[in-house]
Amino acid sequence: MSLLDTCEQLVSLARKAGAAEAEAYAERTRDASVRVRDGEVEELQQASSKGIGLRVISGQRLGFSYGTDLSKEGLKKLAEGAVALAKGAARDPANGLPRGAELGAAAEGEYDAAIEEISPEWKLRAAREAEKAARGADPRVRKFDSTGAGDFLSQAAIFSSRGARGESRASYAYVYCSPVAEADGQLQTASWSDTRRKLDELQPAEEVGRIAARRAARMLGARKPKTQRVPVVFDPQMAASFIAGLSPAVNGLLVHKKSSFLGGFLGKRVASPGVTLVDDATLPQGIATRPFDGEGVISRRTAVIEDGILRGFLYDATTARKAEAESTSSASRAWASLPAIGTSNFYLEPGTMKPEEIVKGVKSGLYVTAMLGRGADAVTGDYSRGANGIWIENGELAYPVQEVTVSGNLLEMLRGIDAVGDDLDFRASTVAPTLRFSELVVSGA
Amino acid sequence: MPRKSQAKARAPLLPLPLVERLLSAAMSRGAEFAEVYVERNTSTAAMLDEGSIKSAQSGSVTGVGVRAIRGAQVGYAYSDDLDEPALLRTAQTAALIADGNRQPGPVNMSRTPLPTHYQVRTPLASVDVSRKIELLQQADAAARAYDRRVKQVTGGYADQTREILVANTLGHLAEDRQDLCRLSVQCVAFGKKNERRTGFYGGGGRVDFRFFEDFSPAQIGKEAARQAVATLGAVPAPAGPQTVVLAPGWSGILLHEAVGHGLEADFIRKGTSLFAGKLGEKVASELVTVIDDGTVAGGRGSINVDDEGNPGERKVLIENGVLRGYLYDHLNARLTGQRSTGSGRRQSFRYAPLPRMTNTYLAPGDQTPDEIISGVGKGLYCRQFGGGQVDISNGNFVFEISEAYLIEKGEIGRPVKGAMLIGVGPEALKNVSAVGSDASHDPGLGTCGKDGQSVPVGVGLPTVRIEGVTVGGTGA
Repeated sequence: MSLLDTCEQLVSLARKAGAAEAEAYAERTRDASVRVRDGEVEELQQASSKGIGLRVISGQRLGFSYGTDLSKEGLKKLAEGAVALAKGAARDPANGLPRGAELGAAAEGEYDAAIEEISPEWKLRAAREAEKAARGADPRVRKFDSTGAGDFLSQAAIFSSRGARGESRASYAYVYCSPVAEADGQLQTASWSDTRRKLDELQPAEEVGRIAARRAARMLGARKPKTQRVPVVFDPQMAASFIAGLSPAVNGLLVHKKSSFLGGFLGKRVASPGVTLVDDATLPQGIATRPFDGEGVISRRTAVIEDGILRGFLYDATTARKAEAESTSSASRAWASLPAIGTSNFYLEPGTMKPEEIVKGVKSGLYVTAMLGRGADAVTGDYSRGANGIWIENGELAYPVQEVTVSGNLLEMLRGIDAVGDDLDFRASTVAPTLRFSELVVSGA
Repeated sequence: MPRKSQAKARAPLLPLPLVERLLSAAMSRGAEFAEVYVERNTSTAAMLDEGSIKSAQSGSVTGVGVRAIRGAQVGYAYSDDLDEPALLRTAQTAALIADGNRQPGPVNMSRTPLPTHYQVRTPLASVDVSRKIELLQQADAAARAYDRRVKQVTGGYADQTREILVANTLGHLAEDRQDLCRLSVQCVAFGKKNERRTGFYGGGGRVDFRFFEDFSPAQIGKEAARQAVATLGAVPAPAGPQTVVLAPGWSGILLHEAVGHGLEADFIRKGTSLFAGKLGEKVASELVTVIDDGTVAGGRGSINVDDEGNPGERKVLIENGVLRGYLYDHLNARLTGQRSTGSGRRQSFRYAPLPRMTNTYLAPGDQTPDEIISGVGKGLYCRQFGGGQVDISNGNFVFEISEAYLIEKGEIGRPVKGAMLIGVGPEALKNVSAVGSDASHDPGLGTCGKDGQSVPVGVGLPTVRIEGVTVGGTGA
């Protein structure tokens, strides 16, 4: 039986068990990976798995159950379980499934059949090449945390009593390398990886290894700078983690609950001109591109911040009803959890400056290449994270630094962005180009 | 005190003759060791928001993971299809790590007798969901009653009953039922000029419903509200090195990040931890004795048996400042000629086990908390903490301070906001200048992530003073 048929069967069982509305979401995945150490296989993993989740609404009350047993008996248990659980929840007029014009499917998620055919040997070779290239890139790289390659295939289906009906497929392949460089008793690790929806777009494994090795080796000799207020540049990975920290602040539910520092700013300037933040589930070849969201709503593009002005927040169907907004097809979903607002391909549009020019414009400041801790508080806007990187002197990357924190306030940081790089690369679902903040507190010695 | 568990009357999760056939299949290409891990995880959760129960949910996931090892090489496969042909295919996939051909001999399995470190008389799965919902409602009411400025209250209750069976070709067979629950509350308090502050509190562990009689939902709600209100009007945290005093309990995350991860045997074997090769060396102030203990009664990180069939243990990692031991799983122990310390844990059957912490705490010292604080001329008193993270190789660690106060002339003063502590593991531990007598474990909230796998853990710390810790903030 297809996943979609299983979903349909579960919805019908739920209706029989007394649910007024029911929606089933199922996934099947295949996941295979190889990890190497010193050119030898360290771990070979392969597995398939599946699961289904059921959301029911009865008398405006919400119940949810999930499981891995897709037999008729297993499905019946899920249906009865969800209906029984709904009885304990409170009535909420906002509870309901999306319907009608909201439902549908945009561009099919990017699927590459070539990824189905990747052999264990291919992965082994890629991982070996990455490890070898990392060793070759710098003599101080002799140890590795891990190096590997893998592929992932998934199928999802949704069916609801309100008319949702869809199937989607996704594929991706990846290579990663985490070398450790060593000199004078100091160890420094770094990692680099590449994940693509299409096999032929995957970064060559040697390049992944070389970049990772250079990132680790350039941190050797890192010291702790003095505490000071300086311009701070985030490399594209750290810029991506900065915008990831903004995602709860644009979550429509948190905004509705007055729990986002961006809450009162719709239509107002919240960032420098030139700063455009987008969530786009229709992006060609995006890692998070999908035809519909976790509750069957047709995928779309939402500009959250446009040229510095706050334009909108992200909504699923339930929150949209509550906040009198429209769903932005932002329901994230896994079979074992209720849909919740999340980002898809979430990115900051590139500017025109070369990353080197951005660094060149700094007399004394910090170029951040790794961070520790969550650090961003979307409720209060406080921002403070541990950071490693390279100190900039007279426009040049001068020497490595570690054991510092970078602190500011998210709103002031957005408004203080004074350079956006042209180096945006969709290597992950959340991405950003190089960013420069005019002044942050770097706390060290 | 551990009690001997009663004889298992229930049928095993998978018939033992099938388990033996799977072990044989996993060994069929010449592996040296094979293991079958069977797991059934049943869970219940409920969420409260804006004063009402938004959802109640339940789920059940069952699966089998098979591991085959040859030398340092691991083959791993799993399946949530439990019929015999699917499971045999899974075992044969794991077997592919070896490339020979071998007819393995029979495995004689004997059950490992286990003590019990859990405080569960009445399984959580047998408690009606309406009682779990009541806990949330009581916590919500208490948080709202605490102060009118508390305007958002979100509560979550979650429990799971995880039944496991582990069998390997060394003949070990272990079965365990690991109940776990957690109740937590988050509050947002609103002050003047749109100021918002948050509070978070909760508790649980491997306990049953009696736990909430002593550690009441009302107490949890009130504490979350207190944190949010107490930090209204906070000034920016001062940036730069300071003397900090850590309040007892969840502050144990300091040990978890600053040393715990760096003592996990996978990093030690690969030589990627800055603690590798330092056994017997002084790595901390002599006031510091760090213990990882999987046998704490009812502890969130406690395990009768780890996910490789080895009993949970109490291990002294650092004794009076001297590094005494590492945390070993089966694979890393075998490859380095050590014995497992019962530290092999995994998130679920979908993952191969890794060496992990259980409950990690600092042995108490002899100073009173008041003595420790009054000795500080200028510094920071850190009362509540958020999460943390560490870079194993250079030892840089951070942890978030969610509630902190300035200390001036030995007195606790104004609250500060947005603080973060950063340090290098061994340096921070060498700068520990006072350890309190008030030993304390966290209330049972922690989850540790490593290589994409989450496992429940506990931490503990008495009141501790550390000199010269870098505080990340925006203030002067």
